[in-house]
Amino acid sequence: MSSADKTILSVKNVKKHFPIKEGVFQKVVGQVHAVDGVNFDIKEGETVGLVGESGCGKTTIGRCVAGLEALTEGNIYFDLPSDKIALLEDSEKQDDKKVSAEQIEEIGNSYDIGKIEGDLFNHYRRNCQMVFQDSFASLSPRQLVSDIVSRPLRVHNVCPENEVIPRTINLLEQVGLGAQHLYRFPHQFSGGQRQRISIARALALDPKLIVLDEPTSALDVSVQAQILNLLHDLQKKRGLAYLFITHNLSVIRHMADKIVVMYLGKVVEAGNTEDIFANPQHPYTKALLAASPDLQSEVTSGMAALDGAIPDPARPPQGCSFRTRCPVAQPECGWEVDDVVRRLEHKDSIFNFLKEVDQSDAFNAKFTFETEAAANQLMAAMKSDDIPDAMKKMVSKLNCDAEHVTVSFKPAKTVPLIACGNGSSARCVLVNK
Amino acid sequence: MSPDTIYSSDSLSGDLIASVSDLKVYFQSKQGMVHSVDGVSFDIVDGEMMGLVGETGCGKSVTARAFMQLIQTPPGVLAGGSIHFKSQKQCKKCTGSGCDDCSNTGREIVDLLSLTERQIRELRGDRIAMIFQDPGKALNPGLTIRSQVAEVFQEHRESDVFERAGIADTMSGLTSYLLKQYVRQETNFITKLLLKFPPFSLARKKVDKAINGLVSDALAETQIPNANKIMERFPHELSGGMKQRVMIAQAIACNPDLLIADEPTTALDVTVQARVLDLIKDLQKRHKTSVLYISHDLSLVRRVCDRVAVMYAGKIVETGDAETIFINPKHPYTQGLIKALPSMTHERGKLEAIEGMVPELIEPKAGCRFASRCKQKKANCDKTDPELKAVSNKDKSHKVSCFLYE
Repeated sequence: MSSADKTILSVKNVKKHFPIKEGVFQKVVGQVHAVDGVNFDIKEGETVGLVGESGCGKTTIGRCVAGLEALTEGNIYFDLPSDKIALLEDSEKQDDKKVSAEQIEEIGNSYDIGKIEGDLFNHYRRNCQMVFQDSFASLSPRQLVSDIVSRPLRVHNVCPENEVIPRTINLLEQVGLGAQHLYRFPHQFSGGQRQRISIARALALDPKLIVLDEPTSALDVSVQAQILNLLHDLQKKRGLAYLFITHNLSVIRHMADKIVVMYLGKVVEAGNTEDIFANPQHPYTKALLAASPDLQSEVTSGMAALDGAIPDPARPPQGCSFRTRCPVAQPECGWEVDDVVRRLEHKDSIFNFLKEVDQSDAFNAKFTFETEAAANQLMAAMKSDDIPDAMKKMVSKLNCDAEHVTVSFKPAKTVPLIACGNGSSARCVLVNK
Repeated sequence: MSPDTIYSSDSLSGDLIASVSDLKVYFQSKQGMVHSVDGVSFDIVDGEMMGLVGETGCGKSVTARAFMQLIQTPPGVLAGGSIHFKSQKQCKKCTGSGCDDCSNTGREIVDLLSLTERQIRELRGDRIAMIFQDPGKALNPGLTIRSQVAEVFQEHRESDVFERAGIADTMSGLTSYLLKQYVRQETNFITKLLLKFPPFSLARKKVDKAINGLVSDALAETQIPNANKIMERFPHELSGGMKQRVMIAQAIACNPDLLIADEPTTALDVTVQARVLDLIKDLQKRHKTSVLYISHDLSLVRRVCDRVAVMYAGKIVETGDAETIFINPKHPYTQGLIKALPSMTHERGKLEAIEGMVPELIEPKAGCRFASRCKQKKANCDKTDPELKAVSNKDKSHKVSCFLYE
C-alpha cells in the first residue's frame, strides 16, 4: 500500500441533530443530538472502526458519510488533495490569516459532499458505497440478483449494455457466488449469501471507500468468519478503505487499523487498534472492554458493568457526557442540576411533592415544593451518600428557604479530546494526569 | 412414560431436575417434513446452569419451547421422545414417601410432552419459567408492567394474594366468590359492579394492595430502581435492559425450579448484557434455580454456564463441562466454531471459517449432518448416524457424536 498516506475522507466537526416535533402543527420542541461534533480521517486502503453502544450515533455517522443524511453542521470532504488539507488545517488556527474565506469556500464547493454537484457529485457517489446491516431490508425482494448487482453499472453508464451481465458475473464470482445465482430472488439465499450480494453491489463501481454498517451482526459466527475473510481479501486486492461500524469489539479488533469509540454522539477515544486495546484511556472504553466476553480472557474475572442508562440525547449533559455513569468521576467533569434529579429520582418520595422547577440554565435551579418537609428532605439527600463526593465539591450554592431549595453548580466547559501519545486521544479529564 | 429414563445416565453426579430423551420435533412444510430437532437427549442437573449453543436454525429454541409445550401443532409435529421433569411438588401416588413412580425421591415426575393443556398451565410460569429473546416483543404493549407481572400471581399464587391482603381467614360466601373472580380476572358486568361498592370494595382494595406489594417485591428482586413507579409504566417507556429485567421478574416471580433463558441478552448492548447476566447468575445462586441457557455466543456461554451442549442441525454433537468443551473440543464442528471467533491470535483475513452451509433439514438422509462441511470426513460418515458417546472411560460426562472417537 504505497498510497497509504493519502486521505480519502475527512470528517470535520460533523453534527447531525434530529428535530423532535409535537402537536397538531408539528412544532419543533427540541433537538436530538445524534452526532455532536465528530472528527476523523480515513486514509486509502485503511479500515477505521466505529464502536459504541446502540444510540451513540455510529450509524448516523455512517449514513452521513454515505451522503444519506444532510448535515446540521460541519463538513465531510471526500478525496481531498493533501495541499488542500494543509490549507484547511491552517484555517482552523484562528490567528493565521493567510487562508482567505474564498479559498475555503472553493475547497468546499469542489470537495465537500454536501455542496458538490454534477460530475463531482457522481465521482463521489461512485467511489463511496455502503453495505447495510439488514440484508433482508436492503435488497429489494422483487428484483433478481442480476438486477440488483448490475443496477449501479447501468445507472452510472460505465459499460455498454452487452458487457453488463459478464461484469455482473465477475462481481458475483469475486464474492464467492457464481453465474448460477444470477436469476434468483434474494429470499432464495441464506443470510451470509445475501450479505455477499450486498457486497457485490457495493463493489460494482470499483469504489475507494465502503461504509460497512454492522455487516456481520445478523450472521452466525461461522458465516461471520467467511464474510470477514472476504472483506479482507477484497481490501488487499483493490486497496479499499473501510468505515467499519459495529458494536462487536472482537470483530473490530480483528478488522480495524484505527478505532473511534463513540458515546452519546461524541468521540470519547480514538487511536490505533493495538493502543486502544492494550491501554485504554477513557473509563468508557475500559468498561466496554471489560464487559465484552472473550474466549481468551480468564473466566473468573467478573464482568465489570456500568450503572444506569445512557442519558437522553435530546438533553446531553454539559461537561463530560459520560460522567453520569462514570466510576471515576471527578469534580471538574462538570456537574449540573440534572444530575441531582438523575441521582435522586430513584429515591422514593423526594420529588413527589415537587411543585415547580425554575431552571435559568444547566447549572442553576430553584426547586419549589408543596411542603417544607419535602424541601428539607431534598436538602438532607443532597448531603447524603447518594450524591458522589466529586459532585458535592462543585456545588457552589445550596440553601433552603421554607419550601424553596436553590441549587447552583460551578459552570464547566465541555471536555475536549486530549492527545495522549502515539496518535491516540481521549475525551477525559483524567488523561495525562 | 417410564420414569427410569431420568436416571438413565450414570455419568452425571447429583440430582437431575430434567431429562430430555430422544426428543424429535418436526415441522410440516410444502417441501416435506423439516426435522428441526431430531433425537436430542440431555440432562439438567438440579441447581446448575446448562448451556445450549448452536447457530441459527439448529433447533435450540425449538427444544426450549418444547419444554413449555409452546410449539404450535400443526405445523409442528411432536414426533417422539420425552422430557421428564421433576418439580418440587410431592408425588401424588406416595405423598412424599417414595415409590417406583418417582424413583424414591418423593417428588412428582412428569413427562412435559404428554401433559394436558390444563396440567401444563399449572407448571408454566410456576415451576418452569421462560425468558424470551426480545423483551420488546414478549411484553404486551397495551398493558402496564404491573398488570403483566401480576398475571403470574393471579394465575399461580391466589392464596398468597389473599394471605398478604390479610383476608384469607375472614373471607366467606359472596365476598370469597367475588374476590376469587376478581383475582382470576373472570369478572362480568354484575360482579364488577358489586365490587365497586362496600363492603366488597374494601376487600377489593386490600387485594389490589397485596398484588401491588407482590409485584413491587418481584421487580425489586431484579434490581429495578423505584419499582413502585416503574409498575405503572408501559413497556415502550422502558429501555431494553429494563424491559429484560421486567421479563426476568415475571419469570422468577414464583421461584421456579427450572428457568429457560432463550438468548436473553441478544438484543442488548454489551454493558447492559453484563448487568443482566450478573443478575441471572446471582438469582440462580440465591434461589438454587436450574437454568437452561440458550445462546449462539460461545464466549458468553463459557462465562456463565457449568455444562454445555453444542447443537448442529437438530442434533447434539458434543456435550460436557463448559471448561472441557472450550479448552479441549473434540467434535470438528465445535472446533470450527471456536476457531471462527475473531481473536487477537488470528492474523487478519485468516479466520478459520467453516466452509459451506448448514444442510437442509427437509427429510434428511442418514449419516452425520456435519459431513458435508467436515474436513476430517471418513467413509462411513455419509452412511450411518454417529451416536453420542463418552470420549473416554475416565470422563463420562464429556460426550461427542463423531466417528473419529470410536
